[in-house]
Amino acid sequence: MSKLQELEIKNKYTGELLGTIPADTPETVRDKIKKIHKNQHLLKEMDFFERSQLLSNFATKLRFKKPELKDLVVAEGGLPIKYSEWELNIVMNGFKFCDWYYQFLEEKPLTSIEGEQLVRIRYIPHGLAACISPRNTPLSLPLYQLGANYLVGNGAIVKPSTACPLTMLKAYSMMEEMDLPALEALDLVIAPGEWTITASHTAKDILARYGRFLKKTVDRSMGVPMYTQPFKNFFFECAGNDAGIVMDDVNLENVAKWNVIASFTNSGQQCFSMKRIIVHKDIYDEYLECLIKEIENLKYGDPTDPDVDIGPLGSRRILMMMEVMVEDAKKFDAKIFTGGEKIDTGEDYGLFYTPTLVEIKPELCGKANDIKDALKLANASNYGMRAVVYSSNLKNIEIFKNELEAANIYINARPMLVDITVSLGGIKDSAYPAGCKYYPQELVYGKYIYDGTPINIDKIK
Amino acid sequence: MTSKIVNQKAYKTEIAKKYTTFLAKYPEIFSDLISGSDFDFALYNSLESYDKRSPVDIFHVCRNGNGIKIKPGSGVDSDLELALSIDAIEKLIQTETKVEYAELLGSFYNDPDEKNGWIDFILHKRTQTLINMGYGKFAQTAGILKDDD
Repeated sequence: MSKLQELEIKNKYTGELLGTIPADTPETVRDKIKKIHKNQHLLKEMDFFERSQLLSNFATKLRFKKPELKDLVVAEGGLPIKYSEWELNIVMNGFKFCDWYYQFLEEKPLTSIEGEQLVRIRYIPHGLAACISPRNTPLSLPLYQLGANYLVGNGAIVKPSTACPLTMLKAYSMMEEMDLPALEALDLVIAPGEWTITASHTAKDILARYGRFLKKTVDRSMGVPMYTQPFKNFFFECAGNDAGIVMDDVNLENVAKWNVIASFTNSGQQCFSMKRIIVHKDIYDEYLECLIKEIENLKYGDPTDPDVDIGPLGSRRILMMMEVMVEDAKKFDAKIFTGGEKIDTGEDYGLFYTPTLVEIKPELCGKANDIKDALKLANASNYGMRAVVYSSNLKNIEIFKNELEAANIYINARPMLVDITVSLGGIKDSAYPAGCKYYPQELVYGKYIYDGTPINIDKIK
Repeated sequence: MTSKIVNQKAYKTEIAKKYTTFLAKYPEIFSDLISGSDFDFALYNSLESYDKRSPVDIFHVCRNGNGIKIKPGSGVDSDLELALSIDAIEKLIQTETKVEYAELLGSFYNDPDEKNGWIDFILHKRTQTLINMGYGKFAQTAGILKDDD
C-alpha cells in the first residue's frame, strides 16, 4: 500500500491555509478507474438530450452557489474577483446550453450520386477518458472536461491542478448533492505535485515522445499505469504565443483597451493571452503611448478587491520564469516601457510581476511596414493558437483570414471569452491534433453505416 | 407593438395578474422574438417547488405579427419556461423603466438569491432552434445574457 499524503491548499495572496485534503494513492486511483469503467454503461442508458438537460440543471445549481465558488476561485487560484465571474460564466453558460454541441454529434445521412440515402455517419463515444487540467483555471477547464465527457457519454476521470483543486472538489460535491444520475462514471483525482512531469509542453515535443512520454505523463500525473497499450486517442491543447496586429486605420485608444484585456486577463496567465503585438509603423509610437497608458491603469494587488485587474501569480516558478524572460530580453537590448518589476514576499504566496511591455528589436519583432510584413512577423512563431487583427481595410481583412497561421482568428473583435461558439485548439506546437476544436467533438469517433436493406431486402430474403 | 391580456380572471394568484399587467406595458421587450414564438412564465414560491417543477401559477406569452398575447396556463408547445420566484416578481413590477426592468431581471439570473429573488429557464426546444427564433437576442436585451464587457 502506498503512503497516504495530505495536500495543503493555500490562499495565493495571503498564504492562509484554505484546506488540507488527502491525495489519492496509486491504489485509490486504480479503484476509481475500475469504478468508472464498471459504471460507464449508466451514461449510455440516457440519451444525449437527457444528459444535456441534467447538465443544464447542474448549471442552475452552480449559479446559486456563485458567491461561494467565486471566493474559492479567488482564494486558491489568485484570480481577481473581477475575472472570477468569467471563470464561472464560461462553464455555466456552456452547461446551460450544452445541447448546442449536438450539431457536432448529430447522426448525419449522406446522399449518394444516385440520390439514395443509405449511408449514415453515427458518432460513438470513445470510452473512458483521462483528463488533466492546468492551474490557471481552477474550475472552468476541469469541469468542462468532466461535463463534455458526460454529455457525449464517456466515463471520465479528471485531475484538477494540485495547486487549486478545492473549487472543482466543491463542484463535484454539488453533483453528488443533486444525485446527478450516472455520477458513478465520473470522478476526480487529487494527485501530489511530484507525480506530474515538468517538461517541454509543445505539441511537437510531446508527439515526438508519444507512446512513451505522453503515456508516462498521464500515468504519473494520475498516479497509476492506466493502460498497458497506448491510448485509443489523445489530444491536447498546449501553449500559445498569440499575435495581435494593429494596422494604421483603426481607433488606437479603443484597440489599446481591448488589447490590454486580451493580454492581461487572469493576470496574463492564459494560453490565449495576446503576447506579441505587431503595429503598423505609421502609428507605432502613438499606439505605444495608448497601450502604455492602458497598462499603467491596471491595478494589481488583493484579488478580492473588485477594482484589481492583476492578482498574484500562481507559483514561485512562474515568477522566476517572468524574471528570466525579461532578463533574457534585456540581453537583446530590449526596452522595458513599463513594468518589469517583481513583488516577492519571500514566501510561496503574494507574488506579483508588474504588467510589463517589452520592445525587442522593433523592426524584427513588432513594427510592420505593411500587411506582408505584419503577416511575416505574426507567423514567425512555433505556436498557432489565436491571432487577432484590428484593421478597417476589408481587402486586408480577407488576406489576414487566409494567411494568418493560427487555428482561431479574431478580426476586429473584443476579446471573446464566454460565448458558447468560442473554440479551443491550435496549430503548430499549440495543439494536437491541429485545428480549432470543440471538446465534445474530440470525444467521439465516427462510424460509417451503410444500410442497403431498403433496396436489397428482396434479394437477400 | 400591441399587447393583449387574455382572460386575466383565470389566474390563480394576484401576483400573476399584476405581472401580466406590467408586462403588457412593455411589449417591445419581446420584439426580438419571431412571430409564433410562445413561452411560459412559471411562478414559484420556493426553490424546492422549482426543483419539483410545481409552480403556483403559470401563463404564457405568444408573439404574433403585431405584438404579444398573454394567456393563462402553459403553452401547448411552448419553446421554454422562464421560471421566476415570487420575490423576484414583486421587485420586478416595481421597476419604472424597461431598462431598469432588464437590469433587475438580469441580476436575478446572474446573481440569484433564494431569499431576494431568482429566475431561471428550462429549454423545451434545442438551443439552436431557440437562437434561430430570436431568444438569444431576447435574453441579451432582457439583461439575462451578459456580453463580455
